Amino acid sequence: MSTLARELERLGLPSVVITALPSIARMVGANRILRGVAITNPTGDPDLAAADERALRQRIVDRAIEMLQTKVPPRTIWETPR
Amino acid sequence: MKVAHYLNQFFAGFGAEEQASMGAVRVEGAVGPGRGLGLPVAVTYSCGDDYFGEAEDAALAQLLGWIAKDRPDVLVCGPAFGSGRYGYACGSLAREAARRGVPAVTAMEPDNPGVVAAEGWAYVVPTTPTVIGMRQALAGMAAIARLLGIGGEPGSPEEAGYLPRSIRRNVRVDRLGADRAVDLLLAKIAGDTLTEIAPPIAAVEPPPPVPNMTSALIALVTESGCVPRGNPDHLTSRRSSRWLRYTLDGVATLDSRGYETVHGGFDTTFANGEPNRIVPLDALRASERNGNYGALHPFLYTTSGVDTSVANAVRFGQEIGAELLDAGVTAVVLTGT
Repeated sequence: MSTLARELERLGLPSVVITALPSIARMVGANRILRGVAITNPTGDPDLAAADERALRQRIVDRAIEMLQTKVPPRTIWETPR
Repeated sequence: MKVAHYLNQFFAGFGAEEQASMGAVRVEGAVGPGRGLGLPVAVTYSCGDDYFGEAEDAALAQLLGWIAKDRPDVLVCGPAFGSGRYGYACGSLAREAARRGVPAVTAMEPDNPGVVAAEGWAYVVPTTPTVIGMRQALAGMAAIARLLGIGGEPGSPEEAGYLPRSIRRNVRVDRLGADRAVDLLLAKIAGDTLTEIAPPIAAVEPPPPVPNMTSALIALVTESGCVPRGNPDHLTSRRSSRWLRYTLDGVATLDSRGYETVHGGFDTTFANGEPNRIVPLDALRASERNGNYGALHPFLYTTSGVDTSVANAVRFGQEIGAELLDAGVTAVVLTGT
């Protein structure tokens, strides 16, 4: 499905994919990839207390926004901001 | 001949999505589809699809360690059909085994990312998108495995029934190169694009970054199958042929009373308990309030990315992208499961 991100980027829209399967995203040609927490919950972590989970999600989203402002080489993966 | 077989947690009989995070296991003899191969399967390895995807290095180390100890003559993986995670595991394990001198064959739908993961090291038999083609897939893999297991080499992809491995060999053909070139040219003039060698997926250079985030309009796109509770527009849980657009106007967060996921490719318990875990609207709203970017585009674009054909995914990207450009969107945050 990172194919979708690749096609959005083809149209000139910088797109960041948050996914727990960054190697697949890279293989299909996504360029801005942020590793999500897990397949079942890329932007959350049910093991954390609610407030901590909310804070983690904020860090992930802010990191994604940072990636959109960053010049990256093709198929770049950034790690989850734990 | 000693055959080893790899299956995911589902086909090995350990359970469905609720077992997808299961670590690697080793079982003596044939299990499940392995019994239908008609081969002397000495050992079966299995692993949860999510585990392989999320802890690939650890999973591969464990599985390859077993393979080194078991010393099979050939490794058979799958068939994985249209399942992206399973196919990726099959393709990656088959590639690594083949690199280490254990010839490997797997089977999956040609669109499966596992075909790319195999990198031409392993033979990949094309299958139907769903298990309906199980018998043919097993027969196709078994025929190639029988050859590989005795040190043989299958014929060309067309003859032996596997996908091209990006290996070019000289062959004798009946017609001169000049004649074939003229045929291709005539086809092109007639508006058809023919080729003797399929081109790889066209890579895309990353577009330049957003220059001024404070005025950026960001759109939220997801393939996690997130929809309003009750799924009013009947988004299918797999093999989606369309995407949907839902208003985010005045929506501050995706709570479980209002939203759910119909994605058919992962255990949705955590997502349905807190949909922001798959579509982080609450955090994007907070960033918007804090002025980290200009504004959030007032629509959520959603589809269910399970067994989606590449052709459909390309079309979704083109259609959604055209709409976003029309709306003046500057950048996209996309979540995938």
